[in-house]
Amino acid sequence: MSNKEVSEPGLERIATGVPGLDEVLKGGFFEGAVYIVRGTPGAGKTILANQICFQNARQGKRALFVTLLAENHARMLQHLEQMSFYDAKLIPKYVYYISAFRVLEENGLKGMMDLLRREMRAHDASILILDGLIAVEETSTNDREFRKFIHELQAHAATAGCCTLLLTNGRRGEYHPEHTMVDGLVTLEDVPYGKRRQRELEVRKFRGSASLRGRHPFQITDDGLVVHPRPESRFLRNTGVANAGRISTGIAQLDAMTGGGLIADSSTLLLGPSGAGKTTLGTAFLHRSSKAEPGLHFGFYESPDRLVANAQLLGIDLKARVAAGDLEILWHPPFERILDSLGNELIDAVRRRKVRRLFIDGWGGFAGTAETHERLTPFFSALANELRSLGVTSICAMETQNLIGPELLVPATGISAVTENMILLRYSEYQGQLRRLISIMKVRGGGFDPKLREFEIGPQGLRFVDSFKTAEGVLSGYSTERSDAAAPANKKNAAKGRRATARRRSKA
Amino acid sequence: MQTVLVVDDEFGVAEVLQSILEDEGYRVATAINGKQALARLNEVTPDLIMLDYMMPIMDGTQTLSAIRSNATFARLPIIMMSSLEEVSVRETCTDYDFFLRKPFRAMAVLKAVQQLLEHPPRK
Repeated sequence: MSNKEVSEPGLERIATGVPGLDEVLKGGFFEGAVYIVRGTPGAGKTILANQICFQNARQGKRALFVTLLAENHARMLQHLEQMSFYDAKLIPKYVYYISAFRVLEENGLKGMMDLLRREMRAHDASILILDGLIAVEETSTNDREFRKFIHELQAHAATAGCCTLLLTNGRRGEYHPEHTMVDGLVTLEDVPYGKRRQRELEVRKFRGSASLRGRHPFQITDDGLVVHPRPESRFLRNTGVANAGRISTGIAQLDAMTGGGLIADSSTLLLGPSGAGKTTLGTAFLHRSSKAEPGLHFGFYESPDRLVANAQLLGIDLKARVAAGDLEILWHPPFERILDSLGNELIDAVRRRKVRRLFIDGWGGFAGTAETHERLTPFFSALANELRSLGVTSICAMETQNLIGPELLVPATGISAVTENMILLRYSEYQGQLRRLISIMKVRGGGFDPKLREFEIGPQGLRFVDSFKTAEGVLSGYSTERSDAAAPANKKNAAKGRRATARRRSKA
Repeated sequence: MQTVLVVDDEFGVAEVLQSILEDEGYRVATAINGKQALARLNEVTPDLIMLDYMMPIMDGTQTLSAIRSNATFARLPIIMMSSLEEVSVRETCTDYDFFLRKPFRAMAVLKAVQQLLEHPPRK
């Protein structure tokens, strides 16, 4: 008895086994349905179709792969041998290859349909691939004949319970009458973004089920296609449940400034120029990782060894936390990467270890991989929502562009709306020295100490020192001593500082 | 002039084999599946058959078996062709005289054909 005979009636799914694709399709294609997979030559259609065949063959399902004017079988199999999903032992019993081109040439569409029908039955196929639909289209004398062929194929596929993928490059432009008939349309594209290109998959039509909308990046690897579902379409939940608990920042004075630590499950943006202490603050936060509050460092710039060594110099023993299994350090050197892949990897790592403390170092690592700048705010919004729903308290470092000065040049717009808390690290020149300052700009749903604090970074880690009680214009970067007898120049600087503060607030 | 019957469903393969063999002076007949090949046997009376393993309607295994059980053609030299390794092919059929793995070189084809025609293994 075949697998199909024992299945329940109704809309059964055929999982593709392609990483990410089943999530995009919310479970896979449907048995007995016909789909068009459209893409330019080299887009990955043939690899995708073979991958689906072999993944299903491993589950005992049978696939029939029919080629028309396509790469010859021997050459195609030679290329597939490099892919990990390929298993020659599954051919011919579970994956069977035939060519129908000569039948199409000699016997036309009717002969071709007879062949497909007979072979589907002879091989008890759960999956039929027709590679080179364009040849059928070209053989048809008019649109009506072509549509009739598709219609008849649908009827036979439904009767046989055979999921059918029609591969085509769709070179006729945008008008494709067959698209209105089939059960689904999947497109594969190679999209240019400046000097780089990104492969993208989109489910344009999918009868019988919702699917994740939009264009999802994919890669062709030695394991075949790997689809990276867009986080913006993947992470839609927002529990909105306010958690009253507090999570220590790892720095007592900062906890005091925030009213007892960061609000649990909240996200914090840590702004500051290069070298201001963002990573140090983040490692202090992660140093509190424990069995109850597992931590994750998701970084781009420092290798794990270097991060641990640098932290050690500041008296922060990350190595022990890692050894105890309380902390994981994931490093992604900032090469050419896919934004969606990074976002999904982050969430997967959080889920895998039930992470409660997360430090992202930093925002720029994600930003550098984005196809367009406009994507970043909705992308981070989706990540922040998911992290909140997963009970993660996160800190994300974001480098401001100017080292010192009255302007606060934040490399993103609208990002403050995504995060609950904002902490600002700055440099300020005061009494002939460059000082590090910390201030809290925002704590959503909680009070905070708005005072500016000076801090130092040394062998004891991050240490708070006297606040600028008697200084003015600190945020301008050029502090002056506050005094009623201040010189006119100092008054001018102080006014400059106040104006800068006002500008900064309006920008944020 | 000796005749070779090439049986292959795939566009390009049969055409290429036909060209290679005709250039060497063989007469070539073609069929696109086993059923068509069996129908052509009496018509073309081949001296050798080149048979593809995976085909629609009637595959290489079924075709080979049908030819071997036909008294008239049972002793014909047969070359089995496949993209698969021979070890996979031998799981379903062994009664052929030579195996050619695709994609093949013209020289390998000619050498095998020539050798089997000069020294038929089933005289």
